[in-house]
Amino acid sequence: MSDASLGASTRAEWIKFRTVRSSTWGVITTVVLMIGLGALFAVLTRTHWNQLSPLRVATFDPVSNSMGGILLAQFAVGVIGAMFITSEFTSGSIRTTLSAVPKRARLLASKMVVLFASMVLVGEIVCFSAFLIGQRIYVGVVPTASLDNTTVLRSVVLAGVYLALLTLFGFALGVIFRHSATTISVYVGLLLIAPLIIFFLPQSWQNDIQRFEPSSLGAAMESPLAQSNSFGAWSATLVLLLYVAGLTAVAFALFQRRDAGANS
Amino acid sequence: MIKIDHLTKRYTSTVAVDDLDFEVQPGVVTGFLGPNGSGKSTTMRIILGLDLPSKGQATINGKRYADLKSPLREVGALLDAKAVHPGRTARNHLRSLAASNQIKKSRVDEVLEFVGISSVATKKVGTFSLGMSQRLGIAGALLGDPGVLLFDEPVNGLDPEGIRWIRDFFRTLANEGRTVFVSSHLMSEMAVSADQIVVIGRGRFITSGSVDDLTKTAEGSVLVRGSDHALLATVLAAQHGLVHDSNDLGLTVGGLTSDQIGTIAYDAGITLFELTPQRASLEEVFMDLTADSLEFGARAPTPGATT
Repeated sequence: MSDASLGASTRAEWIKFRTVRSSTWGVITTVVLMIGLGALFAVLTRTHWNQLSPLRVATFDPVSNSMGGILLAQFAVGVIGAMFITSEFTSGSIRTTLSAVPKRARLLASKMVVLFASMVLVGEIVCFSAFLIGQRIYVGVVPTASLDNTTVLRSVVLAGVYLALLTLFGFALGVIFRHSATTISVYVGLLLIAPLIIFFLPQSWQNDIQRFEPSSLGAAMESPLAQSNSFGAWSATLVLLLYVAGLTAVAFALFQRRDAGANS
Repeated sequence: MIKIDHLTKRYTSTVAVDDLDFEVQPGVVTGFLGPNGSGKSTTMRIILGLDLPSKGQATINGKRYADLKSPLREVGALLDAKAVHPGRTARNHLRSLAASNQIKKSRVDEVLEFVGISSVATKKVGTFSLGMSQRLGIAGALLGDPGVLLFDEPVNGLDPEGIRWIRDFFRTLANEGRTVFVSSHLMSEMAVSADQIVVIGRGRFITSGSVDDLTKTAEGSVLVRGSDHALLATVLAAQHGLVHDSNDLGLTVGGLTSDQIGTIAYDAGITLFELTPQRASLEEVFMDLTADSLEFGARAPTPGATT
């Protein structure tokens, strides 16, 4: 096969992904936030366990608590995804990239394959590590969870998938907005500010809308317990997948139509 | 071969390329000449499929760029030397390009060696000078050993030694039978490095041809020195000669050949000491051709414009 095929462009994107700082630092940050913060939360929970209210004790979830770092790691992975394409626009290297791979849909597909494959791997490693470290810290004082329980296993696996899907979410926003700062602002806005705005809506609306927020979807995916006013874990995964698919469709359509020549 | 087929590129308020139509042949260096902002870079970006034409098309060996199976093996281009990710090393940059078109890894070190930047192969591209970036860009263009090469303003940022190197390099590529298309806003540069020239202004085609032909078609003038300059100027003007410049050293006359001037002077009884046809420099031809199409040209003040 002598064509510049999808395999070839994916190999090229893999070289690009692992040879820039934004990705390596992004991955390091994700690891530190997930494992470091997760361990910190676990230690704090253990030391303060006796002071917790009976309600908090009754609703305690050792799975999502040990993976508490996801609250911040979700921003790190979004930035990894966004920077993988916005850095091409801001440096102008998109022109070199497109002259090597002029089929634009193929180029985006290659980038997404590389992002998803790497970040699913990173996501699963950090989520399983955070979970296992957390249980080690809890043992003896705080109730623990075991991966022998399939619901627990599902939650940890889906937490990793959540991080990988958010990387693609950030990537699609990056294709659409092209500038790093704009993209990251929109990404943070959707994850952080949208829930705040929804918070000011009437309670009945909140109950209906809240479940659609990306962070609620994440909470549903990573917890073995059913969340109030929320989707179940698999439905939440499906909704997030639809978000990513929708944004990706918009991103592909815009990327096909736009000039890549002039500096944006 | 590159074929530009009634190409038009319209932006919201401006027409960058206006119905361009020409071909670039293999085996020669073709200069693409026009003032800054005349649409050269836009045309090159459309050839590479980076910008999408509003009308018409550009093809390479009969295919649109996006339809080339392994584009880097057919076309090498250097449009903007700084269009690389600054945080990546030179070698990794080239390796990713090679991988995308299934070019073997060993070729990366070959081209790095060829352009003379092997010693900085593991340095980040962001630390490169413009000259080094140009060389890296050339290395990228040569990676797939392509038959068609495009360079946008390649001598910018090169030192004199680099400029000489790149001229010889274009010559070698053309002699190997490749299509070499080089843009520049400097006529003087094209005069020494190109065989064929395509001139555009404000996005429109102005003229094309060999460097020699272009200078030939330019209106030449004749330097005349004789015994009576005042009389000579009068009789020449009477025969529709245009006396541009008259001083003690002689007259510069346009609109008449040296044969006609000699005859007119003889008839008027003027002894001629010198009669030298002046070949218009390519620079003058260029200025003449593009005078009407300068986007931001400095215009001579119009007499009587202020009242």
